[in-house]
Amino acid sequence: MPFTLPPPGRPPVTFKGRLHDARTATAIGRWLGLAIVVCFATGVLSHCLQHPPHWLADRLPSRPYWGYRVTQGLHVASGTAAIPLLLAKLWTVYPRLFAWPPVRSPRHALERLSVAVLVAAGVFQLITGFLNTYQWYPWPFSFVPVHYAVAWLLLGALLLHLAVQWPRIRAHWSRSSEGTLALPAADGPDRRQLLTAIAAGVGAVTLTTVGQSVTALAPFELFAPRSPEHGLQGLPVNRTAAAAQVTEASLTGWRLTVDGPRPYLLTLAELSAMAQYEVTLPIACVEGWSKSAHWSGVRVRDLLERAGAGPRAGARVVSLEAAGAYRVMEMGREYAQDPLTLLALRLGGEPLSLDHGYPARIIAPNRPGVLQTKWVGRLEVA
Amino acid sequence: MTYRRALGGLGLALMALGGVLLLGQPEPWRIALWLAGAVVLHDGLIAPLVLAVAALTAAAGLRPTGAPRAALIVAGSLTAIALPPLLRPGAPSNPTVLPLDYARNWLLAMAAIALVTGAYLGIRALLRRRA
Repeated sequence: MPFTLPPPGRPPVTFKGRLHDARTATAIGRWLGLAIVVCFATGVLSHCLQHPPHWLADRLPSRPYWGYRVTQGLHVASGTAAIPLLLAKLWTVYPRLFAWPPVRSPRHALERLSVAVLVAAGVFQLITGFLNTYQWYPWPFSFVPVHYAVAWLLLGALLLHLAVQWPRIRAHWSRSSEGTLALPAADGPDRRQLLTAIAAGVGAVTLTTVGQSVTALAPFELFAPRSPEHGLQGLPVNRTAAAAQVTEASLTGWRLTVDGPRPYLLTLAELSAMAQYEVTLPIACVEGWSKSAHWSGVRVRDLLERAGAGPRAGARVVSLEAAGAYRVMEMGREYAQDPLTLLALRLGGEPLSLDHGYPARIIAPNRPGVLQTKWVGRLEVA
Repeated sequence: MTYRRALGGLGLALMALGGVLLLGQPEPWRIALWLAGAVVLHDGLIAPLVLAVAALTAAAGLRPTGAPRAALIVAGSLTAIALPPLLRPGAPSNPTVLPLDYARNWLLAMAAIALVTGAYLGIRALLRRRA
């Protein structure tokens, strides 16, 4: 049975403004698409590092030591840049929401549905991701798995959108493309001004937030949730001792338990008497902020070797915190054997403060901050 | 055409993967509600608000193009990203989260945009009068 609709009347909503056209949509869409793809790739990378499948855990590389810092700085910077880009893109195509008749054919209905999914996933992903960096969780679901699931939904809807719109994108790709030339020529200078203004908006949101990951740009920071200049011992803290329910009192009589073929216990004095190494490594968080710091302590591989571990051993690290998703941390072989990976006792030349994981914490290259376990009580050969 | 179909097919497959992951969450309808809410938030609130600002600008006699429009776009972008630290309820227990004076910074940014735009328009008007 053919699908028919009553003949359309006059559209109830019309737009007089200029630049709601395919060339503007294509020009903004290219930048937005790039931002979303970068954000997706760096996000999935972080997911693999935080929850590696079994076959990958021992293959994850510990170098470059700055890898996680750069990728997660990019994740949050590209997501932040996407906020003005998405708003501009949606402004451009907003009149299409009022297309008349609302549905022309089953195919048209499906197309509109896929655009609705694209818009929903895009706005949802930017809002949840951005609020997460401010540790603000107004929603009734768990952030990490939902942000991960909607990322796939968004990328899928984006690819479908590119496939559906491909002829129009190609016809408006450049200033001299045939579709662009068919648009009113008088709009050209106006459009370039608009695109420049949007670029300025992207530059402004980037400059006023990126100082949380690029320490040199900290003086321009106005709106980011973290600042490299605000922190104990010169370093921000993600999870405080109070949040982890670790107190000075709970640490009296602290010993490090090292478990393996030849298990042993060490006091803090005994740990400090072992060969100490100094490293400069960043704490880098999936929420985008990062800062480099000077650490000193004992090499994890030395501790593992003393427990009888072979040169290809990984490790399991258990924190003294009462509860938490990252209380027990698995450390793949590449990290455990890297000479930069320390059980750190000191930060910036001073003993660790309680909030930075006193008496001992892990610091490893190219790893998410949540896996730099604090208040370490137990190290196991794995 | 083949590439286009393959791209569309891949997109549908990834959307299905995302959907399956979402259905695996407890109470997926709550997530669906938030997804729909995201569309309503933009199409029903943000976009009409932007159009209203544009209409007001035009009514005030400013042409909604060029420097005034650029100033509004930059100010709007900065305001959008300043909303979470300004509106987040409750002070974080961790003193290294939200350490800046965001209200002051927002006012500074808005003042700077107004100043730069005003100076630009003023200088341009002067140059035109001389020419």
